[in-house]
Amino acid sequence: MWQSERERTPMNTSDQHPLQKILESRIAIIDGAMGTTIRTYGMKEADIRGERFKDSTKDLLNNGDLFSLTQPDMICDIHRRFLEAGADIIETNTFGATSITQSEFFVDDPREHGGRKDPEFYQKIVDDPFLGGLAWEINERSAQQCREWADRVGKATGRQRFVAGAIGPLTVSLSNSPDADDAGFRVVTFDQVKTAYAQQVRALIAGGSDLLLVETIFDSLNAKAALVAIREVFDQDGLAAQGKELPVMISAAVGRGGETMISAQTVEAFWNAVAHVKPLSIGLNCSLGPDLMYPFLEDLADKADVAISCYPNAGLPNPLAETGFDLGPQDMAGYLGDFARGGLINIAGGCCGNTPEHIAAIAKALEGKAPRPLSRIEVSA
Amino acid sequence: MSGTLETKPLRLSGSQPFTQQSGVYIMIGERTNVAGSPKFAKLVKEGKFEEAVSVARQQVENGANVIDICMDEGMIDGVAAMTRFLQLLASEPEVAKAPFMIDSSKWEVIEAGLKCLQGKGIVNSISLKEGEEKFRKHAATVLKYGAAVVVMAFDEQGQAATYEEKIRICERAYRILVDEVGFPPEDIIFDPNILTVATGMEEHNNYAVDFINATRWIKANLPHAKVSGGVSNISFSFRGNNKVREAMHSAFLYHAIAAGMDMGIVNAGMLEVYEEIEPELKVLVEDVLLNRRPDATERLVEYGETLKAAGAGAATSEKKTEEWRNGTVEERLSHALVKGIDAYIEIDTEEARVNLGRPLLVIEGPLMAGMSVVGDLFGAGKMFLPQVVKSARVMKKAVAHLTPFMEAEKAALEASGQVVKAQGKIVLATVKGDVHDIGKNIVGVVLACNNYEVIDMGVMVSCEKILERAKVEKADVIGLSGLITPSLDEMVHVAREMERQSFKLPLLIGGATTSRAHTAVKIAPHYSQPVVHVLDASRAVPVTTSLLSEDGKAEFVAKHAAEYEAVRKAHSAPRQSVVSLETARARRTPIVWRAEDLAVPAFNGVRVLDNFPLAMLREFIDWSPFFHTWGLKGIYPRILEDQRQGAEAKKIFADANALLDRIIEKNLITARGVYGFFPANAVGDDIELYTNDARGKVLERFHFLRQQANREGNEPCRSLADFIAPKETGLPDSIGGFAVTSGIGLKELCDRFRADNDDYNAIMAEAVADRLAEAFAECLHKRVRDEWGFGLEEKLNPADFIHEKYRGIRPAPGYPACPDHTEKGTLWRLLDVQKNTGMLLTESFAMWPGSSVSGLYFAHPESRYFSVGKIDRDQVADYYKRKGMSVAEVERWLGQNLNYDAAESPLVDEAVPVGAVGK
Repeated sequence: MWQSERERTPMNTSDQHPLQKILESRIAIIDGAMGTTIRTYGMKEADIRGERFKDSTKDLLNNGDLFSLTQPDMICDIHRRFLEAGADIIETNTFGATSITQSEFFVDDPREHGGRKDPEFYQKIVDDPFLGGLAWEINERSAQQCREWADRVGKATGRQRFVAGAIGPLTVSLSNSPDADDAGFRVVTFDQVKTAYAQQVRALIAGGSDLLLVETIFDSLNAKAALVAIREVFDQDGLAAQGKELPVMISAAVGRGGETMISAQTVEAFWNAVAHVKPLSIGLNCSLGPDLMYPFLEDLADKADVAISCYPNAGLPNPLAETGFDLGPQDMAGYLGDFARGGLINIAGGCCGNTPEHIAAIAKALEGKAPRPLSRIEVSA
Repeated sequence: MSGTLETKPLRLSGSQPFTQQSGVYIMIGERTNVAGSPKFAKLVKEGKFEEAVSVARQQVENGANVIDICMDEGMIDGVAAMTRFLQLLASEPEVAKAPFMIDSSKWEVIEAGLKCLQGKGIVNSISLKEGEEKFRKHAATVLKYGAAVVVMAFDEQGQAATYEEKIRICERAYRILVDEVGFPPEDIIFDPNILTVATGMEEHNNYAVDFINATRWIKANLPHAKVSGGVSNISFSFRGNNKVREAMHSAFLYHAIAAGMDMGIVNAGMLEVYEEIEPELKVLVEDVLLNRRPDATERLVEYGETLKAAGAGAATSEKKTEEWRNGTVEERLSHALVKGIDAYIEIDTEEARVNLGRPLLVIEGPLMAGMSVVGDLFGAGKMFLPQVVKSARVMKKAVAHLTPFMEAEKAALEASGQVVKAQGKIVLATVKGDVHDIGKNIVGVVLACNNYEVIDMGVMVSCEKILERAKVEKADVIGLSGLITPSLDEMVHVAREMERQSFKLPLLIGGATTSRAHTAVKIAPHYSQPVVHVLDASRAVPVTTSLLSEDGKAEFVAKHAAEYEAVRKAHSAPRQSVVSLETARARRTPIVWRAEDLAVPAFNGVRVLDNFPLAMLREFIDWSPFFHTWGLKGIYPRILEDQRQGAEAKKIFADANALLDRIIEKNLITARGVYGFFPANAVGDDIELYTNDARGKVLERFHFLRQQANREGNEPCRSLADFIAPKETGLPDSIGGFAVTSGIGLKELCDRFRADNDDYNAIMAEAVADRLAEAFAECLHKRVRDEWGFGLEEKLNPADFIHEKYRGIRPAPGYPACPDHTEKGTLWRLLDVQKNTGMLLTESFAMWPGSSVSGLYFAHPESRYFSVGKIDRDQVADYYKRKGMSVAEVERWLGQNLNYDAAESPLVDEAVPVGAVGK
């Protein structure tokens, strides 16, 4: 009876994807952190505003995604440096490029006036043409910028580079109630979150992304909404029918107990919840530094039958250290080198606190190191 | 054929993973189904969702692997009820760990349910009832959300009753799901319809057999597919006769599971153990189920009637005693908070209130103690945020119970003209430039649950707005949050502004990039009021409570200020210049080893000193520290003549001696000790103790640290190991060890004083006993020197003892020459201290009872006291291996001695894999 079970239709065409082949032969390198690298350029409030946002009533300096619109030269410089440092995959500068996250920078917080954020509030946000248009523009432009530099450096070095459309965790949680009197309350609905993500996904694809990366997941239900949005975009926009689905990468941020930080799901439980997507890779990023992350990555590698990615913070945040994080390039290279020796990873890089120098050191340390074998993964029960 | 080995297990998840084990039946809890549980239906209809949640919790506690949730009832808005219930369950960590089964015949209810599941659940159910197109669409949607699916054996013609219908429909559904939709076959769960037997209709007699055979066929022919069913249907004819029904359920499951049934919906309380069914009943039941004889139904009905007549129709009782209810009220409150159980919280809180007298004492006492356990567990990575929030909600219930009592108390106070402080008010905000506030929201919930009024200003809030709001609201505390690095500077700015505007409120700092060090070094110096870093939500309450407590604030603030001062010092102090361990070892104490300098003890082994004469110890007392205990600074006996303190000193000295007279006369306390000599030699920085003079077998090892500070001149880098002859000298050296106490009976004595409200003498007794213990160590040291021989030639008076003008030293673990307290553990084994004296070591290696002293005796004339001081990473890397501890443990015990910040850049064990540290 076995042979009659046809291979299921995959969510993406990753079987044919060139990156899939790379992952089987070597450890691919993903870039470092955008936010902490931007800060080394010493940009000021006026720089991020430019002409376009000069009258904005709220501070925008930490809305780093806007730099892709107002300071494209700096952002492209960062992309270029990561590519030259050896990144096979660069991420778009779109971690907060959804109507929901942008609303924090452009819409009055009702709580300042004794109101509250609730689904009614967020319905206005996801329907808001300004926020929607802005989110679209950031995603599309950032993907185009990445595309341009990935192709340029790719051509110059004779090595194909990939653009991952970065989909961040949002500033709201579908799993948690901020109301002390009502544990069942949610500020936002699944459909609102899905709508915001779908808009981001379409713009990332329109801008030329090769991959979609749902990352820094600390609320699994938020992530599931993003994955449902991706599926619906593939289906509704005809990508599924044309075999043009983009490979999906998934990466969670876990706490010291190995749980997604807000919704407290263990990595194996999380993998069970997203395995149906048949992602190109699953992994961990951000939150803990590499040493504390190790046991949970091991757990994940033990259970998941797809490529494993790992791009931790440069250690724990340490505001008193020069870079704001504990670990320097050589430290990170050492840790990820250990992970590679342990046969754990297919994709490696860095999150917060990792500069192009960190990525260069990591790329060097992993050169010639065997990736985790993909073809004969046996999943333990 | 697919054997059990190759079948992929069903994998599900809530917050925890669930993997089907081969051959183990999956229990599905069915009490949260409005169709199956009238009690649950009533709660939902009345909107009592919180109580309904407790039904789900019981299911998990009773061992259900999956919780079935069904809201299909005419009077219930299915979408709203399903959503609300699942969102409440998501906040119930004990329940949220299990996978959920979304059970509805309405598609919109199923989709609403799927939108609430962070894990992988099961949809129950879809079918071909409305044709292939809808079936395909529904299946694709289930796959999109990532759930397993129950497929009912239904098609356009209706329900499959016979074996042939069942397998035809299931195969058709399987092919569509696997081949067309791309559904993972291991996630397909067929429900081939368990239909009622023994109805009196002949065509129903084979229903059980048909189900069992269909199950067997599915498992053999549809790879990886699973089989489920609603078991209680089978016995519907015997409603009201639970004895028969329970037997039928068990026997049916027994045969269906043997055929491959993976799971089923059944009330675990309505299940007899198959082996325990009465043999006669079992035969009758199986005759019916397996359709073994035409009169099977009549025979079972008849038997059932006789059972009923005998009054045996009562169901097996669902009863589970809750052992934790037997604890003390403090233990119960702590358990309820840690586990997030609110069922008894009001009863227990009331009991505590009655015991303690005042409602506030309940909050500041047992409730805070419970919450601090929660905080510790969270800090250790053993509890997660949702559990902390759940605990806080239980806390809220307890506080709510106490509120009327507090208000009554307040009213009474006001009536008597006293000023009453209002409930604490906290302004919380994520600072300007930062949009992250999920963590801050959790802090808000936890504080609100603890009866604080929380004013949450949201995110991106400017300093001016925060301070203005704090003034308008007359807030008691301001809390700032931020996730990204630039927020730290904004927090400094807020602190500066608060100082400039002469604020008097404490400032709390929290958020992922904030830290205690940063708060102490960069923020606190700008504001003269307390600035406190709050590590996580669980710590917010104890900190706020302390800051707002009338009695506790001063102490908390002083302790906090001292801690932060220490952090600042540690941070700003230039690291000491150290030499490498290798160099330090080369600079060991220069001793020329000669046999004549080595003392030979009168005996080897251990001696016990029970009931040691207190009168003799009295002669050895060094009184100066006694006066320090009482806050008088000076040296005995000069202090007695001191102009300023003399009178007071004389008085307490007289009182102490009067008490000492009584203690000695009436034997109010007992002195007991143990000491011993052992053949020993140094090996590196360790000292090996041997079982006998042959020195062949090592009895114990003491591990010592070496000074690494880079000193001027020729000062050696000392270690206690330097004072014992190295093994390679071949010289037979020896070492002594001791543990003494004068604290036996002390507690009882102090208790008696306190019972008479004589706190003065209680403290005096402790001070005197402390002196006696030190005197004991000194007195014993004299005996040891005598037994080593050289002591006999001493000509010393008591003052000389105090100035230690004799040969040899008696350093103690935990003191500067040997800062590692854990070495006491070795000493305890060596001398069998606990057995010989009753003295215990606590977890932190403190000695019990108090008024105890222990240490080692070194005899070499060159031995002297010193302070190890700062040690560097290379010595820690060497020491942890010698000790057989982890680096983290060593760094914890020697925190004060590290010349580096272990928290900033910990050293990693070589012996254990990277990453195991901190696990």
